[in-house]
Amino acid sequence: MAQAFSSRWTRLIAAAILAVPALGHAQGGATISGTVSERGSNTPLERAQVSIVGTANAVASDAKGGFTLRGVDAGTVTVRAQYIGYEAREQVVQVAANGTVRVNFALSRTAVTLSGVMVTATGEERRRSVGTAMATVDTAQIERSAATNTQQLLAGSTPGVTVLANGGQPGAGATVRLRGVNSVSMGNSPLIYVDGVRVYGGNTPTNVGGRQFSSPLNDIAAEDIDHIEIVKGPAATTLYGTEASGGVLQIFTKQGVEGAPRWNLSVTSGYNNMGHVGPASDTTGLFLNSCAGVHTIGDGTKFQDATCPASGSWLSNGPIQRTAISVRGGSANGTTYDLSVTGNNERGVLPVGGSYVRSFRVNLGFKPAKGFTLSFNQSYVNNRSVGFPDGNSSNGVMLNISRGSGSNFKGPGCTDLTVTCVLNDSLFTSQVTSSTNHFVTGATLAYQPFDAWTTRLTLGLDYNNADIQYITPFGHLRVPLGQMYQTLWTRQFLSADLASTYRKQIATNWSSSTAVGGQVFENKVYSTDLQSDNFAGPGDPTLLSGALKQITGVSQQRVINAGYFAQETIGWRDVLFVTIGARADGNSAFGKSFGIQTYPKISASYVISDESFWPRSIIETLKLRGAIGDAGKAPGAFDAVRTWSPVAAEAGKPAFSTNQIGNPDLGPERTREIELGFDASAFNGRVNLQYTHFDQHTYKALIPVQQAPSLGFAGSQLINAGDLMNSGHEVQLNLDVFRSRNLDVSTRIGFMKLHSEAGNVGNGPLTIFALGRTYVVQGLPIPTYYGPKVMNPNDFANPVIQQNQDLGSAFADRIWTPGISVKLFRSITVDAQGEWQLGGHNLNALAYQNANLNSWQPCFNAQDQMRKAVAGDSSGLATINALDRARCTINTKIARDYGFFVEANDFFKLRSVSVTYDLPKSILRFGARSGSLAFAGRNLFTSTNYSGTDPEVSDQRDDQFARRDYYVFPTSRSFTMTLRLGF
Amino acid sequence: MTTLRNFGRRSIGVAAVLCAACSLQVTNPGPIQDSQLNAVSAVPALVNGMSGDLSYALGNYVDRGGLASGEMTEAGNYSAEQQYWFGIIRPDDVNPDWAAMQQARWSAENGIERMKSVLGANFEKNVDTPRAYLYAGFANRLLGENVCTGVIDGGPAQSDTVYFVRAESLFTRAYTIATALANTNVANAALGGRASVRAWQGNWTAAVADAALVPNAFVYNAIFSTNSARENLDMAVQTISRREVTVFGTVYATISKTDPRTPWDTVKAGTAIQTGQDGKTKFFQQKKYTSLGSPVPLVKGADMLLMRAEAALRAGDLAGMTTLINAARATWTGLTPLTAPATVAAGWTMLQAERGSALWLEGRRLWDLRRWNAEGTNTFLTGRSKCVPVSTNERASNPNPMPAP
Repeated sequence: MAQAFSSRWTRLIAAAILAVPALGHAQGGATISGTVSERGSNTPLERAQVSIVGTANAVASDAKGGFTLRGVDAGTVTVRAQYIGYEAREQVVQVAANGTVRVNFALSRTAVTLSGVMVTATGEERRRSVGTAMATVDTAQIERSAATNTQQLLAGSTPGVTVLANGGQPGAGATVRLRGVNSVSMGNSPLIYVDGVRVYGGNTPTNVGGRQFSSPLNDIAAEDIDHIEIVKGPAATTLYGTEASGGVLQIFTKQGVEGAPRWNLSVTSGYNNMGHVGPASDTTGLFLNSCAGVHTIGDGTKFQDATCPASGSWLSNGPIQRTAISVRGGSANGTTYDLSVTGNNERGVLPVGGSYVRSFRVNLGFKPAKGFTLSFNQSYVNNRSVGFPDGNSSNGVMLNISRGSGSNFKGPGCTDLTVTCVLNDSLFTSQVTSSTNHFVTGATLAYQPFDAWTTRLTLGLDYNNADIQYITPFGHLRVPLGQMYQTLWTRQFLSADLASTYRKQIATNWSSSTAVGGQVFENKVYSTDLQSDNFAGPGDPTLLSGALKQITGVSQQRVINAGYFAQETIGWRDVLFVTIGARADGNSAFGKSFGIQTYPKISASYVISDESFWPRSIIETLKLRGAIGDAGKAPGAFDAVRTWSPVAAEAGKPAFSTNQIGNPDLGPERTREIELGFDASAFNGRVNLQYTHFDQHTYKALIPVQQAPSLGFAGSQLINAGDLMNSGHEVQLNLDVFRSRNLDVSTRIGFMKLHSEAGNVGNGPLTIFALGRTYVVQGLPIPTYYGPKVMNPNDFANPVIQQNQDLGSAFADRIWTPGISVKLFRSITVDAQGEWQLGGHNLNALAYQNANLNSWQPCFNAQDQMRKAVAGDSSGLATINALDRARCTINTKIARDYGFFVEANDFFKLRSVSVTYDLPKSILRFGARSGSLAFAGRNLFTSTNYSGTDPEVSDQRDDQFARRDYYVFPTSRSFTMTLRLGF
Repeated sequence: MTTLRNFGRRSIGVAAVLCAACSLQVTNPGPIQDSQLNAVSAVPALVNGMSGDLSYALGNYVDRGGLASGEMTEAGNYSAEQQYWFGIIRPDDVNPDWAAMQQARWSAENGIERMKSVLGANFEKNVDTPRAYLYAGFANRLLGENVCTGVIDGGPAQSDTVYFVRAESLFTRAYTIATALANTNVANAALGGRASVRAWQGNWTAAVADAALVPNAFVYNAIFSTNSARENLDMAVQTISRREVTVFGTVYATISKTDPRTPWDTVKAGTAIQTGQDGKTKFFQQKKYTSLGSPVPLVKGADMLLMRAEAALRAGDLAGMTTLINAARATWTGLTPLTAPATVAAGWTMLQAERGSALWLEGRRLWDLRRWNAEGTNTFLTGRSKCVPVSTNERASNPNPMPAP
């Protein structure tokens, strides 16, 4: 049955693909075929790239590692095989006209390779000539990570990458940073390219009730990703132009390979699970883990939740079900295809909440004429997330349940009539939903008429829309007449990207590579915020259901960015390369005064291990590299202008109200980076070490500064407030500890050390988010927590409080990413990946608020002793330290401050653990040619002293640069089992 | 080299075609640029905006000011509001109120300067001009009556009386121009506003003179509306749409709930009295504002009569005080006259209670209690915050030192 299904669909798809014969290029000439496998284990390598050096003739290997190159010109040719994570190999062969030659490749595994190419702004560049750090998340990493989306893939993947989860809301996007922070206001998210098409790298608007955003970056199913190239820092991203100072992610999805259709099926089942929530000393887990019966909060108030589930907990396992089907293949005339369909249904751990994703991807490749290759890449993703009110929301889950008797949801129904009765299941009647559609289409035409010249034109469209709703229904306990918020958001990114490279041997020992190109990007956003209040009655409401309907926000922006670049690389004896380049950008967002910005770069790489004097017997590969380059960011449209908002006043009459104070002196910010490092491989690829030092300096940094409200404008205003310094070290060490036929042990560890510092910002703190106690302060990390501090926290005495103190960096300054992979009997792979972040802090606003409401368990004893002291018995105070006296004060005359609740959020998380068993062919059925069974878990273990629910979380509607844990639901862990079959 | 030249030409040609196909014009409709307000046609909306900003500032402050001054009891779980009710007004908790009050002041004062420039010689002939001065005056009065420290346009801290000084000047301009334009309504409102700020500066004689010119039945309101959320009266939102504050536990709960000045009622859930959002405090719903669009008086004849009554009391004229109090009571239906108190102390008690009822939930009580506390005739604010301190945001962004809260 399965074979029939496979066969029928295979014929249909093959017919569809082959129905475009005009695009196929009839190929004569010789044929080179063979296999690509891993040296030692002889495992076939699927999707290895095999090419005739100096031509556009290239194919990918099939599932058995087989390949066939057709149309090869007679004579002596060099055949290259390369595969990410392996050392590329070349073989020179003689082919006769119309003859057939067989070539087999055995590639050695290595984390550091100087052969092959990587994709840059100019197109493909030889790895050995690139003067900046290169990092790749390869197929093997993707498969063992148990990740479902790109952001999960990136977490802990390579040094310099920081991923903070933000919250456990279903579908919530994460905050991604490459090499920390070099911009305060213009975003630090990297630019995203998918198969060469620039896509929107930001986020959807945040949900009013859920208080988290979605990340379109996550719309790319992990199953579809072949590999990700991570380009970090302005020195490497200069030629990508304005906006690129946050780095670049180049995502490559799986492409078709020549040969018969190959079907792949992946089925995953599992569940999400939440462990203990909040401080370990709180056995109720903030009343989430345990809600049954009568509980008592710190001031003795007793309460009961009449709606506590029969299980006695608000938490339960949320099922996961994922399916992915793909087929890839191609014809002998160069037409290839890769089609995939994925579905991902998963429920959260609360009574409501889940994420439902459907995606469809078609990648087609053609060789329409000699020298031409044409590829089309299309994807469509529909994502519906159902969440719950969270964060700084009066209807929020954490806000209400963790407050115990202080929940906003009270009513009758409790069995104990003497206690406060809460009805927390009412908060799950609110509907927090986000429905997104994400469509990406791109076409890339590459032309290589001869060895020296390559030109590539890519046209792309990235279209995102989102319908974000927050509905409080009629009859709701807090808002009886009901309320609805809706944001309709569309963001469209159109791009045209032309790059051309000309390579030439200009003299003995000297080579030249000249690249020029240009891009035009059009970025449009349409966003409308709508609100409807006071429904007439029950039922599913729309915006028309309310007696009061309002348009609360409209944004319609169109911004154009156009730029050109030129780059020249001079090579000497193929060991030393010096690259000089520049990018000129115009950005319409800032108007005429911005003008053209020019970003220069220079880099060098020296493959010293290719020198004759180098002792290759020990260290076979060593490349020294260095680069300096600029990138910049422009302010947003009209950020410099004083503006007013049109409002209604005097019962519906038109009126103006102040909006933005404006800053006529506003200009762009520019980041310059110096990068030095090396890539080394020793002991036959068993030891691989990459080291990079980077030093970034952002000049005239754009910082949103709170303006004095007495100036008439309540909000903040962008100003070029000073300099930001951001430097650090990145180390990646990969060790093949043991290699044998039946046991293969490899370890990896990454480390990043960051030093962030604000300069020339003046003597006073620049406010980022006052209630988050987040500022930019001269000489301190960016951003930093700043404010009143208990100077004697551990003394058993009254607190000594000093104002204007450094409370700690908001972001970690040291990140370790250890991992281990063990392969047993060539069929069982055990992999674990951890992440240890140090030096960061978070503001535990849940503790601040709940301490005030006597419902923060770690304060119960302190507050009890304080009450006794008020009653005349101060003996117990001797056991209460100054920090707790300040945090837990019951004396309303002593100001409890958010600053006292800024805590170090150092943590270790076991990001993923997987055990994969490659099924023996003897047990495969239904025509399956390969199969594996994987058991995996994500975020299985967290170790932290942070007293909040999760050190990573932050309310994204409060502020997206500052971080404040304001009743944010924590992230959950997951357990999955995946069956993969290849047909 | 020929190949390279061709390559360059082709690349440039393709790039030119690409760019020719697109406009490089940025578009961002919506926000109104400041310069676009420099038009005569923009003046009505500019002045409407002054009114809207004043209503927004007052309407959002009324419930918190009421909690701080004992007009209402907190019945919800809002942390800031609880602190107000405890009598603790912290810089962290006043950011929205401080900003809204300052915005109302700045937009009116700045708008007046813009109108002078735009209207030129017609400035004083424009029907909106006296309104602009009036809103600027009331915005300054709102600040003067409620904040602890004077801060103008990002400048240094100064005495909070600066707002009364500015308000008096602005009310005088409003009165003069409105009178010239025969706008009696605005003229009376300006007189009422000026009377109050003159009294608060100790010039009771001038205050009485102004107040006496305001008709007993006169009322000038801050306008609220159900048209949009920004136009809603927040006190109504918190007591009609929600149950965040209650009359329960206040002195007004001990007065007959049918007193037309301080109407309230219980709300039943079945047979039991409904509780507030905190689930434990009885919810007595204020009935003064019955709609999210109910207006809040800025000036009314009863206020003027009670101001004159206070002047009489300060002069030791208990009989005169009582007469004026009864005149104020007569502006409502159903209130019987009071008899004159026997002592000055009793006179203060009577006057303070009457003023409390007459101006209930209008954002005026904290100031009355503050000035009486300073004079030793009222102790409610003893040990409690007496005014709104400079906000955290102002402290963080104003380069000048600010007094400790």
